[in-house]
Amino acid sequence: MRFDLRPGVRRLFRLPLRTTRSVYADVDEELDALIESRIDALVAHGLSYADARAEAVRRLGANLDTVRDQLHHSAELRERRMRFQDYLRDLMSDLRYAARGLARRPAFTAVAVLTLAIGIGATTTIFSAVNAMLLRPLPYERPDELMKLSLVTPTVGDKIGSDQMVWSYPKYTVFRDAQQSFSEVALFASRPTVLTSGDVERLTAESVGATYLRTLGVKPIVGRDFDRSIDAHPGAPRELILGYSLWHRRFNADPNVVGQTLAVDRQTYTIIGVTPRNFKGLSGQGEFFIPVTVMSVEDLNQPQSHFLTLIARRKAGVSPQQAEAATIVLGKRVAEAFPDRMARGTWSAHSMPLDDARVAPLIKRSLLILFGAVGFVLLIACVNVANLQLGRASGRRREIAVRMAIGAGRGRLVRLLLAESMLLSMIGGAIGLMIAWFGARALSAVNPAVTARAGRSTIGAINFALIHLDWTALAFTFAIVLTVGLLFGLAPALRTTRSSLSNALKEGDGDRKGALVSAFSGRRLLVVLEVALAMVLLAGSGLMLRSLTKLLATDTGFDAENVLTLRITVPEGGMARDSLPGFYQQLTERLRSVPGVSSAGLGGCAPLSGGCNITLLTFPGQPEPDFAHRPVTAVNFVSPDFFPALRVPLKRGRLITDADRAGGAKVVLISEAGARTLWPNEDAVGKRVKIGQGGFDKGDGAEIVGVVGDVRQWADSAGRTEVYLPFAQSPRTGAIVFVRSSRDAASLGPEIRRAIHEIAPSFPIYDMQTMENRAVGATAQARFSAELLGLFAFSALSLAVIGLYGVMSLAVTARTREIGIRIALGADHGRVQRLVVREGVALVGAGAAIGVAGALVCTRLLQTLLFDLSPSDPATYVGIVALLGAAAVTASWIPARRASRVDPVVALRAD
Amino acid sequence: MALLKGTLDVLVLKTLSWTPMHAFEITTWIEERSTGRLVVEDAALLQALHRMEERQLIAAEWGVTKNGRRARYYRLTTSGRAHLRAESERLVDHFDALTTVLAARKTTP
Repeated sequence: MRFDLRPGVRRLFRLPLRTTRSVYADVDEELDALIESRIDALVAHGLSYADARAEAVRRLGANLDTVRDQLHHSAELRERRMRFQDYLRDLMSDLRYAARGLARRPAFTAVAVLTLAIGIGATTTIFSAVNAMLLRPLPYERPDELMKLSLVTPTVGDKIGSDQMVWSYPKYTVFRDAQQSFSEVALFASRPTVLTSGDVERLTAESVGATYLRTLGVKPIVGRDFDRSIDAHPGAPRELILGYSLWHRRFNADPNVVGQTLAVDRQTYTIIGVTPRNFKGLSGQGEFFIPVTVMSVEDLNQPQSHFLTLIARRKAGVSPQQAEAATIVLGKRVAEAFPDRMARGTWSAHSMPLDDARVAPLIKRSLLILFGAVGFVLLIACVNVANLQLGRASGRRREIAVRMAIGAGRGRLVRLLLAESMLLSMIGGAIGLMIAWFGARALSAVNPAVTARAGRSTIGAINFALIHLDWTALAFTFAIVLTVGLLFGLAPALRTTRSSLSNALKEGDGDRKGALVSAFSGRRLLVVLEVALAMVLLAGSGLMLRSLTKLLATDTGFDAENVLTLRITVPEGGMARDSLPGFYQQLTERLRSVPGVSSAGLGGCAPLSGGCNITLLTFPGQPEPDFAHRPVTAVNFVSPDFFPALRVPLKRGRLITDADRAGGAKVVLISEAGARTLWPNEDAVGKRVKIGQGGFDKGDGAEIVGVVGDVRQWADSAGRTEVYLPFAQSPRTGAIVFVRSSRDAASLGPEIRRAIHEIAPSFPIYDMQTMENRAVGATAQARFSAELLGLFAFSALSLAVIGLYGVMSLAVTARTREIGIRIALGADHGRVQRLVVREGVALVGAGAAIGVAGALVCTRLLQTLLFDLSPSDPATYVGIVALLGAAAVTASWIPARRASRVDPVVALRAD
Repeated sequence: MALLKGTLDVLVLKTLSWTPMHAFEITTWIEERSTGRLVVEDAALLQALHRMEERQLIAAEWGVTKNGRRARYYRLTTSGRAHLRAESERLVDHFDALTTVLAARKTTP
């Protein structure tokens, strides 16, 4: 029997730690015992003791001390290796034990794992987004030196000037030639182009100067950069630098691409280089780069043609403040050289770090709010983990006491508890990783419309596509949750190991109840905290969701159902201006002949896309009011069928007809809101207006022949002044085509494409999507924030309910005896259930009260994101509190039912 | 006769396959069974015992001898038993081959 215990087990219970000395002592004793035994044997054979000893030492094979040293050394090595093996074996057995324990309590395990996964996953996802879009330095050389330069337009009356105005080429040259604070000044502008060789295709390029790539520190990976001489004056050679993806797509990444040509807008350009992967210019959309100076002198030398964005790199030793001061001084010089066309005031210029222009304030705000929200979720997750661990630990007091009684050391016990926490964290972390991975992927696919539409003054290069899973954030959140789990799991356990064994073992009512009560009140506080946090999140997301519903419910003024839209562009030089009306006439007639199509109209801009031009509106024969009071209007160029295609109603007068041709009397339609604003008490039909676009300000202007319903330009804008000019009287080279059919709009695409191809094979068709889809894009930003916030709030609510359920369950267990007595004394089921539920509702009530106070403060941050809604909207708060109340009742009712089924006999006999 | 390299471990395992023993019992047992032809150096034996204990071929436990002396008793573990079986097969095979080669005589025609 003496050999039954494994060395590891023996080590654990009897000799937990063997010191070097004890190992040496073992070796010495064994060696001595061997020698003694041999001496005994030899003496028994008749040798003298001295002879026997000499023989025994001889049989050793070497000098006694040498042997002793060798054995010491090898024993020490052996001991170290075996201890490690034991450790591994113990760890495995701990993990197996923990796994069995977790499998025995599937509810606890599922809740803990889910809590961890949600906390880790959600936080990592949002932090990945915040890092990519707000924190990570711009992906250019020494990004902190880069500045964005803007013109500042004068403030006139109550029209506040813009401080993010773009530049004209002449203004840029004045600035460039005079400045001394920047080592490089560069310009760029997005330019829609059509590739006219090979497959006809519409692409966005960037018009740039020779200093553009140099300023950013981007070097071509193939070929060379533009020669600096191209910046000297307009009329530069037709050269271009390809973007990486276009190089791959159209040239199969041919390393000998330099010297080949590409036809852009019917002009032949020579390729001189290729930019690195992932570089799409500061606009984030540039597929290739062409010199701005290829434009003609006449086109470029227009001081009032503002379309260029300026960036610059500060010289070493020039602070941002010095750069700003120098820019302001130079801005004055520019303004003196080119005074305001209408003498409204003085222009100026200013600079700001390029980093400040990385994302629109609205996006930044949304992201920070989501970051805050997800922080709440993480906090709640931690509270829940703490709660669960506390409950688990108090349930284990007896088990721990038993283990200590049979000799388990404290370290060993801690490891046992650690194993369970670790196992839970590993599983939760793995699922959290999956959530974060999918989350980051989903975020990186967010409709680019969200960033593109949010602000023109920002560079497009920083967008959702940059988001990818952030491992640092994952490690960080994982560490937080793990630490919380360990702290709350270990602390009660360690207290148990300190407390008197006999007390814990006795399972006496007094001690047990005491421990439960103290752990229990701690857990109650945690639940109150949890509910308060969830309340804040629920209020925030409730407001966002209500705002979104309001936004979606607004009357857009048109019917998007079954309407397919597409853009078509006549390439530069593709058709004489005079033949455009005929072409468009032919186009719409051809489209109407497609089966199922009821009407096909043209427009210059689509509703809900915010893309219509704004211009001044004046009245012929009246003195011009000063600039500040001149009315502005949105301008749309439409064909007669635009209105039936979008079902925009005619309110008064008539619509545009095919008879309103070029050369005929100029006519316009006006929106109802415009008619009401401009002629509050008169009929707008028959009035004459001058409109600063399309030649409608010449002579005595145009006659208003009809009033149509208001169409929203933005998702959140009210009806406003908008005029519709006949396409035929002011033809454009590009148009949006709206096709209404009796069929599903999306399925119509190929047929429409074929029909257009028949009459215009070389004109690019692009941006084909249903009108409904465009409308969805218009609310993408609001939807994005509301949905994510809603998701977090739902997680928070679920976690809080789980926490509440856990506490109520424990409370019922702790009071089994008391409830038993109550039932024995005649309390009926309903009474017992109410007793328990009332307690749960009280906890939630306390949490909700704190939460409402917190929410009233926190939701003020949402102000700018809300549409037609106050951050303290009472209806939202009432709804949220009702929701929480219902959740509280449900979470406590399940334990309450259990309580009411307590068998008094069993309950009283239990102890 | 000194011991051939590599055979000590198998001998010790074989010895322990009878019953748990301490170091002196093992060396005596080997000497007696080989009728004195195999002699084990005590230092080498102790090293071998420690080595095999580390590999978990044998396990050790303090016990008391018939003479009332404390001694470290070794016993064969499951993996030790498997090791003994494999190793002794290999050795027997080896010596068989060796014997065949060495016993070969020149055949006279």
